[in-house]
Amino acid sequence: MKKKRVIPVLLHKEGWLVQSKNFSEYKRLGNAQKAVQRLSEWDSDELIYLDISKTESYTTHRSDTAAPEYDDLSDLLREVSKVARMPITIGGGIKTLYDIEVRLRAGADKISLNRAAIADPSLISSASREFGRQCIVVSIDYDEYGTERHLRVNNKNGTIGNPRSTLDWLLKVEELGAGEILLNSASRDGMKSGYDISFLAKVSEALNIPVIACGGAGKWEHLAEVLTETNVDAVAAANIFHFQDQSVYLARRYLASKGLPVRPPSIQTKKRIN
Amino acid sequence: MIYCEKCVYPMTAAQLEITDGICSACRSAERLISITKEEWSHREEIFGDLVKSLASENGSNYDCLIPVSGGKDSFYQAHLMTEKYNLKPLLVTYHGNNYLPEGDFNRDLMRHAFDADHLVFGPSVSTLKKLNRVGFKVMGDMNWHAHCGINTYPIQIAMMMKIPMVIWGETFWDISGMFSPDDFVEFSARTRHEHALRGYEWYDLIGQEGLVEKDFMWAKYPDDQEILNAGVRGLCIGNYFNWDPNVQTEIIREKYGWKGSDKEFQRTYRKMSNLDDRYENGAHDLLKFIKFGYGRGSDHASKDIRTGYMTREEGIEMVRKYDHVVSDDLDYWLKYVEMSEEEFWSTADTFRDPRVWWIKNGEWWKDNIWGGSSAYGRVHLTDEQMQKYLREGS
Repeated sequence: MKKKRVIPVLLHKEGWLVQSKNFSEYKRLGNAQKAVQRLSEWDSDELIYLDISKTESYTTHRSDTAAPEYDDLSDLLREVSKVARMPITIGGGIKTLYDIEVRLRAGADKISLNRAAIADPSLISSASREFGRQCIVVSIDYDEYGTERHLRVNNKNGTIGNPRSTLDWLLKVEELGAGEILLNSASRDGMKSGYDISFLAKVSEALNIPVIACGGAGKWEHLAEVLTETNVDAVAAANIFHFQDQSVYLARRYLASKGLPVRPPSIQTKKRIN
Repeated sequence: MIYCEKCVYPMTAAQLEITDGICSACRSAERLISITKEEWSHREEIFGDLVKSLASENGSNYDCLIPVSGGKDSFYQAHLMTEKYNLKPLLVTYHGNNYLPEGDFNRDLMRHAFDADHLVFGPSVSTLKKLNRVGFKVMGDMNWHAHCGINTYPIQIAMMMKIPMVIWGETFWDISGMFSPDDFVEFSARTRHEHALRGYEWYDLIGQEGLVEKDFMWAKYPDDQEILNAGVRGLCIGNYFNWDPNVQTEIIREKYGWKGSDKEFQRTYRKMSNLDDRYENGAHDLLKFIKFGYGRGSDHASKDIRTGYMTREEGIEMVRKYDHVVSDDLDYWLKYVEMSEEEFWSTADTFRDPRVWWIKNGEWWKDNIWGGSSAYGRVHLTDEQMQKYLREGS
């Protein structure tokens, strides 16, 4: 049976790795490279790295730590790739084919499009033609209103709800040539209340391309729920992987103990961190 | 400079994120305060279950390990584990040779007060002196050794003796709001490495001042596989119990005879914090002011504003009174490590954050939270080093 992937998501904001809640509250955790190294050592299946910065800043302004400072996104990606032994998807701030090329060159294995694809859907098809379908992930944020799922569209003043149906957009994205979908419930971001199971079940039946579920993980049982009750290909989460050491190992150990088809947990410490 | 509108933290405070005027530490504290009595008792139940699952099953080992300095938090941790849970702890102390006399008294009182086994470990004093100097020069922190010792040695012992439960006190969210009370964050190698140790490990310091690997046996952190094999987990009781230092201090004073400081610190109004380390409220913290423009006055006032012991206006007065003070322990430290005052300032000045400090007429200037800006002493840099601190029009 095909293995289901467990994917940590790292959120990068103005030089810092952050936790996010409700797409509006942020907590600074530290340095990207160290986090990626740890996720690598815990043998993560993949990594999704999203840059949610509002300004282009890649420094923490700390003269008193060993944490590296980066000049720009490419610089950061190159450094991060050095310690990563799993495929990386990079997202955030991608508007053109050139932006994609820059990221792939700097070490990304896949890229994820979000806002730019909503503004200009043809970007999905041209990116897919240019770089291959397998490396184009379309990331979709939506809000839950009762049984409705509204696609989240950002405007100048921040974020507003948009009554556009998320499912319609998903089907269109698939048709345009997306290789994979990262489906994130903004309503559950940082809430620890569990994933949007019913919608994920519906989407994973309706689409032929792989779906990565995201939003709402508060305990390992929530990850198990997604893999038991829906047909998604992968389950992703951000904050929860920062709360405990060896978190990715512990997550897969739990899922494996429930008989779910994940890769067995393992530790891949090449260079000791002690 | 941008300050949090609720507390007195500037945006340059370590790890702080200010969104819509309110800082991440205040947001975490707001959540903490909103936790109801019922929720606290639910949290206590969760902790009780964890303790049951992790304490020694057959009575053939210690039930838990408590890293202790002898401070108020240590006493409260030991109080909870022995009185409430009736467990047999092993107390472990990293002794960095920085104790104040009151701190010595409290540390040694623990063995008697809790009738507990207590292991006290300290590196040789010559190694410590070297590490004081190296830490200061490399990262502007003479107490790197202490952060490393406290966050490493107890885990080594837990591993060696296969004690799966290590009981820590407060969580990190209290200081910078890195985490929320809902995260139930546990001790991690990454937080240890990045924040406690500032990203520097023992092997980064080899060769400086003649330091060799043999000097660092206590500084080596176990790897993941070893930790998993021994099943060691570090729990913060701040996640499970309502943590109010002002209340807890009274409990341990009355019940165990813990002693606060008789005299005022020069850099804060609090008398009950950091007695285990003469520099934590002094020269070590002065360096934080030098680097980022805020100190213990800001730290303690911000905490007390959040818990309602102080208004923001009163807090600002504490900042004005304490943050910039050059305390006497600096002289003590300079003698301890045989360093001149000139060398101290010319090194310390290189760590200043240009978002905070600028140079005008050979003096350091910064904005004040009470408005305007002031000079805070002579500049000890070369002309070339000064360049990045010169602002247009100044």
